Amino acid sequence: MIVVNCPNCGPRNSSDLRPCGELTPRPDPSTASLSEWRTYLYLRENPAGWVTETWYCRNGCRRYFTIQRNTATNEIRDSEAP
Amino acid sequence: MAKQGYRYSAGKLVKHGLTRGDWPRMWSRPEARSSYDVVIIGGGVHGLATAYYLAKEHGVTNVAVVEKGYLGGGGSGRNTAIVRSNYLTPEGVAFYDRSLDLYNSMAQNLNLNVMFSRRGHLTLAHTDSALRTMHWRAEVNKLQGIDSSVIDPQEVKKQAPSLDVSSGTRYPILGALHHPPGGIVRHDAVVWGYARAADHLGVHLLQETEVTDILCEGGVGPDGKGAGGRVTGVRTNRGDISTPAVVNCTAGWASLISNMAGVPLPITTHPLQAAVTEPCKVFLPTVVVSGSLHVYVSQTDRGELVFGASVDPVGTYRVNGTLEFTEELAGHVLELMPGISKMRLLRQWSGLCDMTPDYSPVMGTTQVDGYFVDVGWGTYGFKAGPVAGETMAETIATGRDADLIAPFTISRFTEGDLVGEKGAAAVGH
Amino acid sequence: MTGNRLPERPGEVIDRGTSLAFTWNGQGYTGYQGDTIASALAASGVEVFARSMKYKRRRGIMTADHWDPNLFVQVGDEPNVRAGSRCLVAGMEVSAQNVWPSLKFDVGAVNQMVGRFLTSGFYYKTFMRPKWFWHNVYQKVLRKFAPGGRIFWESSTHGAYDKRYAHPDVLVAGGGPAGMGAAIAAAEAGASVMLVEHEPELGGHLRWGDAADLAALAELTSAVEAHPGIEVVIDSTVTGRYDHNWMAVVQRSHEIAPERLIKARAASLVVAPGLIERPYVFAGNDTPGVMLSGAVRRLINLWAVKPGTRAVVLSANPEGDAAIADLEAAGVEIVAALDARAGEDIVEVEGRGRVDKVVLGDGRTVSADLVVIGIGWTAPTSLLNMAGDRPVYDPSAARYFPNQLPDGVLATGGITGNGTTDELVAHGRATGSLAASRALRSRHDRRVLAARARNPEGPKPEFLQDTRTPLARVPHPECYRSSTHGMVDLSEDVSSKDLVQASKEGFDSIELMKRYTTVTMGPSQGKLETVNASAVLAEARNMDMVDIGTTVWRPPYAPISLGALAGRIFEPIRRSALQDWHEAHGASPLLAGQWVRPDHYGDPVGEARNVRQNVGIIDVTPLGKLDLRGPDVTKLLELVYVNKWQKLDIGRVRYGTMVAEDGVVSDDGVTGRLGENHYLMTTTSSGAGAVWEMLEDYLQTYRPEWDVHVTAVTGGLTSINVAGPKCRELLLRLVEGVDLSPEAFPYFHVRRGSVAGVADCIIWRIGFTGELSYELHVPSGHALHVWESLLANGEDLGVRPFGVESQRILRLEKGHYIVGQDTDGLTKAPSAGLGGLVKLDKPDTLGLPELKAAYARTDLPMLVAIQPDDPQVVPMEAAQIVDGDSNRILGRITSSRMSPTLGRSVCLGQVDPSLAAAGTKVTILLIDGRRVTGTVQEHHAHVDPEGVRQNA
Repeated sequence: MIVVNCPNCGPRNSSDLRPCGELTPRPDPSTASLSEWRTYLYLRENPAGWVTETWYCRNGCRRYFTIQRNTATNEIRDSEAP
Repeated sequence: MAKQGYRYSAGKLVKHGLTRGDWPRMWSRPEARSSYDVVIIGGGVHGLATAYYLAKEHGVTNVAVVEKGYLGGGGSGRNTAIVRSNYLTPEGVAFYDRSLDLYNSMAQNLNLNVMFSRRGHLTLAHTDSALRTMHWRAEVNKLQGIDSSVIDPQEVKKQAPSLDVSSGTRYPILGALHHPPGGIVRHDAVVWGYARAADHLGVHLLQETEVTDILCEGGVGPDGKGAGGRVTGVRTNRGDISTPAVVNCTAGWASLISNMAGVPLPITTHPLQAAVTEPCKVFLPTVVVSGSLHVYVSQTDRGELVFGASVDPVGTYRVNGTLEFTEELAGHVLELMPGISKMRLLRQWSGLCDMTPDYSPVMGTTQVDGYFVDVGWGTYGFKAGPVAGETMAETIATGRDADLIAPFTISRFTEGDLVGEKGAAAVGH
Repeated sequence: MTGNRLPERPGEVIDRGTSLAFTWNGQGYTGYQGDTIASALAASGVEVFARSMKYKRRRGIMTADHWDPNLFVQVGDEPNVRAGSRCLVAGMEVSAQNVWPSLKFDVGAVNQMVGRFLTSGFYYKTFMRPKWFWHNVYQKVLRKFAPGGRIFWESSTHGAYDKRYAHPDVLVAGGGPAGMGAAIAAAEAGASVMLVEHEPELGGHLRWGDAADLAALAELTSAVEAHPGIEVVIDSTVTGRYDHNWMAVVQRSHEIAPERLIKARAASLVVAPGLIERPYVFAGNDTPGVMLSGAVRRLINLWAVKPGTRAVVLSANPEGDAAIADLEAAGVEIVAALDARAGEDIVEVEGRGRVDKVVLGDGRTVSADLVVIGIGWTAPTSLLNMAGDRPVYDPSAARYFPNQLPDGVLATGGITGNGTTDELVAHGRATGSLAASRALRSRHDRRVLAARARNPEGPKPEFLQDTRTPLARVPHPECYRSSTHGMVDLSEDVSSKDLVQASKEGFDSIELMKRYTTVTMGPSQGKLETVNASAVLAEARNMDMVDIGTTVWRPPYAPISLGALAGRIFEPIRRSALQDWHEAHGASPLLAGQWVRPDHYGDPVGEARNVRQNVGIIDVTPLGKLDLRGPDVTKLLELVYVNKWQKLDIGRVRYGTMVAEDGVVSDDGVTGRLGENHYLMTTTSSGAGAVWEMLEDYLQTYRPEWDVHVTAVTGGLTSINVAGPKCRELLLRLVEGVDLSPEAFPYFHVRRGSVAGVADCIIWRIGFTGELSYELHVPSGHALHVWESLLANGEDLGVRPFGVESQRILRLEKGHYIVGQDTDGLTKAPSAGLGGLVKLDKPDTLGLPELKAAYARTDLPMLVAIQPDDPQVVPMEAAQIVDGDSNRILGRITSSRMSPTLGRSVCLGQVDPSLAAAGTKVTILLIDGRRVTGTVQEHHAHVDPEGVRQNA
C-alpha cells in the first residue's frame, strides 16, 4: 500500500484514491485528426522510471491532481493540483 | 553441449535409476554469434515457442533467443497455469482453441511431460448480468465446436463440492460457465520443453543477455528508428548482434523494448499477483474462477491452493507485491469457500502484464520492417503461448501476418477496430 | 511413556504446577503450561512426529521452533499447525498428518525403495504415452499422496478474525537483545515504538542461554517494560514489508481473534530477526534424533526436556560448544564432540525410527541416539529483500549480510554481525536511536512537505547519516555438506544429489534449480534450505557462493491464515429507504451491483399487467442522481452528452446518451432543469459512481474555469416511479402545489411540489415503462410515508407495487435499451440506434472524432427490435443470430421476454447491418440447438411506438 500525497488531504493510503494513469493531454476534438485522437486514446509511453500521472482523491476531497511517480521504485515526488 | 535428440521415456528412467548415470543437459549455454537470421527478445514461453516453430516448421534455425535473466523467469513462471478456450469473441475462440490443441499434444511432441490436467474450468456467475455473459460465451463457443455450457448451482456443487452455493451469501452462485477441456499445465515444463526442443534444432538460447537497444535505419525517427525504417541488429550487454529480424516477446517490458525501435505501443504495465497456500489434502478437482470477486483458484497435485486475481490498479514495474492483494484475495476466496479459513498463505508473487485497451494482444508486423511484436498479452499470455509461437513463426518466415492473428495487428488501434474481449475479461482466468 | 523431563532448569518456561491433558493420535498425554506441543510430546518420549512428503521417511524434532520442517501436525480442525512453536492447550486433539494408514506404518514408505528412480523431475520424463494416462491414472494417484492437513468443512472461522491499524514511528522486528536495545533507545529518543517478537517472550537466544544471558535478559526486559513508549507484541511476526514501509504483522495469540493482522505504517523499520541455524547435509541427516544445536538448547533450557541419552556433537561455533555444556548438564553422555573448525566431521547416520549409529569423519562408527549439529548460521534476510535489498554473501563469515537499504529500513543484531550481548545491545541502541531520528524527521518533513507543495522553494529535508559502528563479522568456516549426500530440503524431500543432477541437466541457476527440484518451495519457505541449496549449486558449478545468489524471498515471512487476511466480512449492500418494506411484503431480492432490490412481489407478469391496466409503483432509488448547480451546467451537458442542451427551459427534462472518448456508449439518463442554474441529472444505477467521477474529471482537469458544482444525491433522494393509466388520478389525491393536467405538465417536464404532505419533492413526467408515469424524488427520510400513502390512497384504483422484473418486461415492450445489456464494450453511438439524437456539429463533445468516424461507417452492427415468427418462442438472452444453417454469427439477442401486453415474445438484438432493415428475416439459434426465424421490426418499441400512452 503506497502512500500518495493529496495536495488537500495530505498523505493517504493509495486505496483511498484512484489511479488514473499517465497524464495525456486531450487534443482539441474539433481539429484533431483521427490519428492524433487515437494516439491520445491508446498510445502510452509506459516508462520504467518517472512518469507524471493523475490520481483522484476518491475517499477524501474528490480532487484530481497529478504526481510524479517512479514506476521502477514507486518513489513519489510532490503532488500538485491540476 | 546438449545431447542431440535425447528422448525421455519410462525405459530411460529405469536405466538411469539402475546405472545412476547422469542425464544429459536439456539445453546448452552457447556462445553468441555475431549475427542471426532472427533475434527473439524474451526467453519465456512466447519467445521459445516462436523459436521452436521457426526451426521446426520453417527450417529457420539461425535464431537466437535473448533473455536478460533465466529462461521462463518472467510471466511464464509466474502465472497460475490455467489454459482454456472459452473466450467471448469468435476471433479469440479460434485462436485459443488452437493453443489448447497444441497443449494437448505437447508432451508427445516435445517429449517432455508438461502435465496437462484437463480438469475442467468453472467461471462462476454471481449476478444475472454475469449469467447472461456466460450464456453469451457458451453460445459463441458452441458454434465454434468448443465444449462449453452454463450449469446451475447444484451442478456447480457437484463439480466443486467445497463451494458454498447457498443463496443467502453476499455473492450468491447463480450458475457457472463450465468448460471441461480447460485445465492446468505445469508452466515451467512448457518453458523447458520448448527450450530443449529449440536447442536441439540449433536455436541459441542466450541467457543473462540483456538488449539495451534495437538498431535501425531509414526510419522517420531519431537514429533511423520509427515508421518506414528497418531493423539491422540489437545491442546487448554482451555486445552487438546484427540481424534483419527482431521479435519482441517481452510481455510487461514490451513498451521499453518497442520504444527502442521507435514503435510506441497501446500498452501499460501492471503487476498481476498470485499466491499459494500451504498444502492440504486434495479437495478441489476443478479450476474455479469468479469474475465479480476477482479471484481464481485451483489445487495443485501437491495439495496447495493456487490463487490469482485481476491486475493491480496501479501501473508499475515493481514485482514485490502488495498486502492488500492478499487481504482482498482471502476475503473473496472465503466468500466462495468459507471452510478454508484456517489454511495459511505460504507465498505471494507478482508478474508484469502488458495490458491493452481491449484485453487482446498486439501481434505481427509493424511500421518498422523486420520488427515484429508479440505483446499486449495482459493476463492471457500463458494460455496463448503455443499458438502465438506458431503464428509468429509463420509471420516471420513469410513476412505477412498469419490469418489467425489478423484481428490482433497493431493497425486496429489506428483504424478503431478493437477486439471485444474486454467485456468477458475483467478477470478471465 | 518414557519420562524425559529434567529437574528444574533456571530459565525454564514451563509451569510444573499446571498439567495439561491432550491427545496425540488418539492416545492421552500430559504436558505443562508453557510447553509447546513438540516439547510436551518429546518430554513424554515421542520421537517421530511426521512422515516426509515424497519418501514417507520418519521425521523428528530438528529445530524445535516455528521453522521446524518436521513438526507439522493437525490440531482438531486446524491443519498444518507448527508443533515446534504452538503452545500446548488443555484438551488439544493433536494428530500426525500426511500418514496413511498410520504414523507407525505408512505404505508410501515403499517409495524409499524405488527412490533411485524418483529423482528430481522424474515426472517430466515419463507418463507421456498413452496420452490419457497422465490425467486419468497417474495424476489421480499423485493427488492422493498430497501432504498437509485436512479441512473440516463444517467449522469455518471466516469472519471471526480481526485487524488493527498501527502507526508507530519505529517498528522493531525481533525482540532479541539488539531489537530490545533498539526499542529502548528509540523510545528514549521520543519515538513511539512497536516491538514485535516471534516467540511468546522477549529475549531471543538469551532465553536459552547461561546465567549471564538470563541476567542480561532480565535487565533488558525490565527496561522495555518500564518505558511507556514501547508497545510489545509477542507471539507475532512481521511477516511482510511492502512499499512505503507498510508492514504486515501477524499476531498469533490474541484474546479476541484466532489470529490478528496488524497493518502498520512505520516511519522506520528496524530489522532484528537474529539468525536461523544452518542445517548440515550428510547421509541420514533427516533421521529422528538429528537436531540442530539450538533445538537441544531450547529443549533442555526452556522446557527441561532431555533430548537423548548418547550424543555426537558436531560444532563449528561457540553456540555449538555451548550445546555440549547444556547436554552434559542435562545428563546426556557425549559420545563424541567433533570440532568442525579442526576438520572433524560426521559422514553418515544410521537408524530408522531414531539415530542408532553414527559414522564419523575419521572412520569410526559410534553408537548414539542423538546427533547435534552446530555448524553455522543463515541470515533471515526476508524483510531486507522485501525492502529492495540484495544481501551479499560473505564467504569468510559464511553467511549473507545486508547490502543497501532504503533510509526507512535499518538492520541490527546477528543479521549484521557478531558480538557479545553488550555489543549487540549497543548496536541495537545506536540503530534505534538513528531509526527514531529519521522517523521523527520524516514526521516533521511531512508537515514541511505539505507546505512545499505550495512553495517549491521551501526548506528541503536533510538526510541523517548512518554513523553507527558496525558489528564485527567473525570468521566462520563454510560448512554445508559432508563427504556424503543428504537431504537439503526436508519438507520437499530434495537431496543434494538431486540438486547436483539438476545443475548438470541445465538447471544451473538457483531459480531454475528451485523450479525443477522444488527445493525451498515447501512450507518452510526456504528458511533452512536456501543457503545450502546455493552452496550445493556453487559446488556443482565450481563457482563462488557470491556469484550464485539466492532465490528471492517473498512475503509472507511467516505464513498467515486466510481468515486473518480476510478479517471481518465487510461487503456492505446498499438498501433504499424502502427495502425493509419490500422485504416485509414478500419481495424477492435481486442483487444488482451494490444494491439489493425487489425483483418482484411474487407475480411479475401480473405486476406488469397492472401497470398497463391500472397503476403500479416501483422503487427506483438506485438510479444515479447528481445535483448540478452553477452558471456553466449547460456547457457541461453539451460536453458529456451526445445531443444538444443549449435550449432546455426551466421545467423541462431531456433524455441524453453519453459516450466515452472512444465513441462507445457509456451511460444514459435524463436531466431536468429545476431552476436558472440548477439541474438534476440521472444516470444508470451501475454507472452512477463512474459518471460522477467523470464529470469531476472534466470539470477539474479540462475546464476548471467552468462554474459547476456536482453533488451526488442518489441515496438522499428516494425515487419512486408511479406508472399506469390511472397514475394521474392517484397523484391528484396526494400532490399539492402542482397542476398535473396534461396541458400544464406535459411529457418530459419537471415540477416541484409536495406529495402526501412532504414538501419539495421533485416530480418529473418521464417513464421507462411506456405508460403515463411520474417519477417522484422524495427526501429519503419521508420516503416510506410517501410510498405507503400512494398504496393507501390508490386501493380503489388497483395500485400495486411492481419490481425490477416487471419493469424489464415493460421497458422491453417499449423498446428502451439498457446500457451494458443491449450495448457492450464496443457499441458505438450509431449502433445503439441513436440516429438523429447525436449532433456531430458541436465544437466539443466526448469522443467527437470517433463519433464522426463511426457515422461514416456502414459496417457497424445495429440494435434492432426482433419478433420471433413463432410468438410462443422466447429465445434466451445471448442466443446467437446466425447465417441460415451455417455457424456464422451475425448478431445476438440482447433482451427477450414474453410480452403480456401483446401475448407474444419480443426481443432486442444486435445484428449485422445487412440484417438491420425492417422486415428482414433472421435466424435465431436457440439454446437447445433449434433454429427459428424472427423478423426485424420497424421501431424498437413493440408496444405503442407512437407514444400515445406515455403522452396521455
